[in-house]
Amino acid sequence: MKFIVSSGQLLRSLQSISGVINSNNTLPILDNFLFSLAPSALKITASDLETTMSTTVRVEADGDGLAAVPARILLDTLKSFPEQPLTFTFDAKAGVVEISSDFGKYSVAFLDGTEFPQLPDLENASSAELPAHVLTTAIQKTLFAAGNDDLRPVMSGVFFQFAADSLTFVATDAHKLVRYRRTDLGTDHTAEFILPKKPLNLLKGSVGNGDNTVTITHTAANARFEYDDTVLTCRLIDGKYPNYEAVIPRDNPNKMTLDRTSLLSSTKRVSIFANKTTHQIRFKVAGNELHISAEDVDFANKAHERLTCHYEGNDIEIGFNSRFIADMLGNLESEEVRIELSSPNRAGLIVPSDGTENGEDVLMLVMPVMLNS
Amino acid sequence: MERSILHMDLDTFFVSVERLLDSRLRDRPILIGGSGDRGVVAACSYEARAFGVHSAMPMRMARELCPEAIVIHGNSATYSAHSQAVTEIVRESVPVVEKASVDEFYADLTGVDRFLGTYKMASELRSRIALETGLPLSFGLSINKTVSKVATGVAKPNNQLRIASGEEKTFLAPLSVRKIPMVGEKMYQSLRNLGVQTIGTVQEMPVDLLQQVFGKPGKTLWEKAQGVDPTPVVPTQERKSISAERTFERDTLDAQKLEGLLTAMVENLCFQLRRGDKVTSEITLKIRYADFETQTKQRKIPYTSADHVLIPLAKSLFRELHSRRLMVRLVGVRFGGLVGGGMQFQLFEQEARVHQLYEALDAVRKKYGDRAVVRASGLHARSIGGASNPFDGGPPMLLARRRQ
Repeated sequence: MKFIVSSGQLLRSLQSISGVINSNNTLPILDNFLFSLAPSALKITASDLETTMSTTVRVEADGDGLAAVPARILLDTLKSFPEQPLTFTFDAKAGVVEISSDFGKYSVAFLDGTEFPQLPDLENASSAELPAHVLTTAIQKTLFAAGNDDLRPVMSGVFFQFAADSLTFVATDAHKLVRYRRTDLGTDHTAEFILPKKPLNLLKGSVGNGDNTVTITHTAANARFEYDDTVLTCRLIDGKYPNYEAVIPRDNPNKMTLDRTSLLSSTKRVSIFANKTTHQIRFKVAGNELHISAEDVDFANKAHERLTCHYEGNDIEIGFNSRFIADMLGNLESEEVRIELSSPNRAGLIVPSDGTENGEDVLMLVMPVMLNS
Repeated sequence: MERSILHMDLDTFFVSVERLLDSRLRDRPILIGGSGDRGVVAACSYEARAFGVHSAMPMRMARELCPEAIVIHGNSATYSAHSQAVTEIVRESVPVVEKASVDEFYADLTGVDRFLGTYKMASELRSRIALETGLPLSFGLSINKTVSKVATGVAKPNNQLRIASGEEKTFLAPLSVRKIPMVGEKMYQSLRNLGVQTIGTVQEMPVDLLQQVFGKPGKTLWEKAQGVDPTPVVPTQERKSISAERTFERDTLDAQKLEGLLTAMVENLCFQLRRGDKVTSEITLKIRYADFETQTKQRKIPYTSADHVLIPLAKSLFRELHSRRLMVRLVGVRFGGLVGGGMQFQLFEQEARVHQLYEALDAVRKKYGDRAVVRASGLHARSIGGASNPFDGGPPMLLARRRQ
């Protein structure tokens, strides 16, 4: 088994999937890339048992076969080469692969590729297609809101909900919630599944913003994303996603519209003076003014800012964790945002008032903190 | 600049208050504390001390030593009120006051010299308190807290003592090491085992030796023995945790009783948190078995002050902790990691309504007292709550009716 490949191309392919590999694995074989050589193409796979990603590189091949090559050494070596052809020669008897470059020769031991974990079969799978940029945006808009709580695993991922008339992506950690919906797209079959964080992060970095199609195939337990030369297969989070529609408040009598960036920078500035562990800030809306204030009693720190806004509704005073507000505002791109409130102990709604594409619908929800007045 | 620190201590405070209320108690041995089998002496009069009684001694032992003593249950609320009256007088007259406990004050009189003379001012303050409240007290005056406190101890009862600047070492030298405030029973034993009896000996010891034996506190001990104590007088103390615990009159295995008591304690502490606008991030359960083995279990939690989160958590921690098939002598709960702020509301739970309920309950409690509304399961637990606000900057309250 032997092949010749461009060093730059191989490095790019390896880097696109190397994020799957954990830094310390219980199974030693998972520290390797699986090389499976077929005539004229090399398929490279990386896995952590939960998530498996593979990509294909064009090579000049001689023979075929499987080999698991140590990932760290391979990446470090390839990074140090300028663009040039490399020859990989596998000696099955000695269990050593020899790499020849313009500069010299390097050998490294490889493992038997058949020991590499097999991908699960996706039986009775249903599939859907969507443009790459839609998937990337959906992940970018939602992933930050997902939780980290091991006790509530369903909330640690993003909920995909596909229907004939819309695609919906939801993330929440029980304090904040983001719903990203595309009403201009749809799928033949309805589908619902929860994707864990790791594959989402990998997809976010590798799917790209192009118009190319991503094909999603999924069963109850697994999902597969196919795009370009890459295939990502991952296990889904098992469980029932909370009924998020039920917690989105329908009637919010108090509506405030204001400039997003000034609200964001005010929030960030004021929160410097807030308690370092609770990050509590106070919004007080009266007339056409929003007063943002924070206080850290222990250190006698205090801040107060005033912003003009367009406001319809009754005067209201409500407390928030400033980090949630900053995260959400920072994740939007619009000029202005609309904040809808009902009462100091009910969720506040943040929606962009402009800048969204046709058919795009972004909704953010944040729970307040209790204020003692 | 040289400081002038005043330490004032009300003599046998609880006893003095009782004598104020009932003059028949004068000149007679008095014991204050829980009278049951497990009661401890919270305070005793000088007449009782002559019999070898001291505070924190089991009540049974004290009664054996001094059978003619009058035993009084004591009433923390009355003592608090009297302590408050004294505090007000002190705060009125002195710029910086630290209330160290219910019957002890530190005051920083630095700079007052220029106008009045600190000793004269302290003496006047003492007579004013004695006159207005009828409570006897002693004070010590020196350049720092430690020496002043020791001086008060020497001056007692009903007297005063000034240690002139520069005389600290000579004043301390002949006294027993037990007189240094940081030396407890254990440290005293270790020092005696080293052959140390007086502070003078400590003064002459190399600091390294003390550090070897006691670690970091060894150095502090040595400094204090030299009459050096840079700690400032701090007007308010920040509470880092609040707790409740209860020793039973009789050991128990009654799960319902135990859980009811826990409920009552947590419920009361939660109210204290909300009243103080605080949230907790750490809950600790404590259990003491009949054989005195004491175990604790701690858990980190997201910031909260909600009954419906903390009560089930306390119960489940208790079930995990209560592993020995043995009677329980004491249970306690502590909330740590306190920070100021409201709690974060959660999605997917009917929290808005629950918090309205808490607001209503807390309003009733603020008006009619902590125990005005309680969960029925905790109704039987008496003597929970009723304490003062733990977040008023004062020292924790000392209970008159403690059990061991």
